Amino acid sequence: MARDYYEILGVSRSASAEEIQRAYRKLARTYHPDVNRDPGAEERFKEISEAYSVLSDPETRRRYDRFGPDFRQIPEGYEDYVAAGGAGRRGSPGGGGSRVWVDTGGGERFDVGGIDFDDLFGGLFGSRTRVGPIPGADHEAELELTVEDAYRGGRRRITLSGGRSPTSFEVSIPAGVVDGQRIRVPGRGGQGSAGGPPGDLYLVIRLAPHPRYRVEGRDIYVDLPLAPWEAALGASVPVLTPGGEAKVRVPAGSSTGRRLRLRGEGMPNPRGSPGDFYAEVKIMVPPRLSPRERELFEALARESAFDPRSGR
Amino acid sequence: MSGYSLVRVSRLSLEGFAARAGMHPDLVRRLVTLGLLDAARDASGRLWFTSAQLRTAARIQRLRAGLPLNYAALGLVMDLLDRIEALEAALRERGGRIPETLPTPSVARCEE
Repeated sequence: MARDYYEILGVSRSASAEEIQRAYRKLARTYHPDVNRDPGAEERFKEISEAYSVLSDPETRRRYDRFGPDFRQIPEGYEDYVAAGGAGRRGSPGGGGSRVWVDTGGGERFDVGGIDFDDLFGGLFGSRTRVGPIPGADHEAELELTVEDAYRGGRRRITLSGGRSPTSFEVSIPAGVVDGQRIRVPGRGGQGSAGGPPGDLYLVIRLAPHPRYRVEGRDIYVDLPLAPWEAALGASVPVLTPGGEAKVRVPAGSSTGRRLRLRGEGMPNPRGSPGDFYAEVKIMVPPRLSPRERELFEALARESAFDPRSGR
Repeated sequence: MSGYSLVRVSRLSLEGFAARAGMHPDLVRRLVTLGLLDAARDASGRLWFTSAQLRTAARIQRLRAGLPLNYAALGLVMDLLDRIEALEAALRERGGRIPETLPTPSVARCEE
């Protein structure tokens, strides 16, 4: 069911021609597929253009008001209507080339007229111009990936809910995509007209915030919680990286903030060396001490000359 | 994903370019004169185009068809769109995001 033309333009049924034109111009600027790369914008733009092409002409508007969305099916001679409106009309009161999209019923939409290429280009070299295929515009959509998915890459089924009907297709995501990187999906952009090829879709990668990993470029950072004695005496601690579990060797005497690097364990790089994985030491203490633990810490406090605030 | 694909440098004559772009050669020549399309001129004065200009030609046609722009405005709009694209790319590279006050792009979802 087609949406109401007045609703599409956001005007009331009693709107003046001026109001209709203003609404159309504003919406056309916002949703033109070369200005707005959202996959849904092109469909909105077509709707807006279609609504305007009907409502901007007093005759077709009257017919639309009277017969509703099926007004094109009503013979033009009906109720003494003398053929004057419809798709063959040239130009529009706004002076702009408006588009008329006609649904042929077979699911195919045709750009039949209204878009007056003689008006558009004719002034340059006489009146006859061959109108060729126009390739579709490129679209852009964000794709949120978990750090793990970005690390692994692989084929993914993508659902794009930009337009009125969601589309779904498979995309190959290279291992090690980073935040902001664009993946080109050929032919998934805007539709071409008059047989022109479709544009491309660009998926802009967004890494979802991760509870443990912080990603900067290709480097990955995690907190490495350590007990005071592990930090003081040194330890070998397992950490989870996107590539699997790895062992970090903590040198004796590591204080909070020390970064322990696992070289090459960050994000893979299809065109060079991978990023690094950094485990950041974070010393934790038991929230409650057993009597024995308290005894030992007190003994250590008495014995140790260490003052973390000296030399500050 | 391995390796690099060789980019074939294709040079198109005025007629070849016009045919590929679906435009009349006179219109193509005119768009070059207006500085909307880039072309190289050889010693005999003939125009040569790169295939990259086909995208520009398509954009010109879409903008002309969809918005009532004259050629001066069209040049300005295209320059501004190019600048916005460059700025957005720079912003993305620094991990920045497009402000929410601007139209934000659709979100594609990834299924397992």
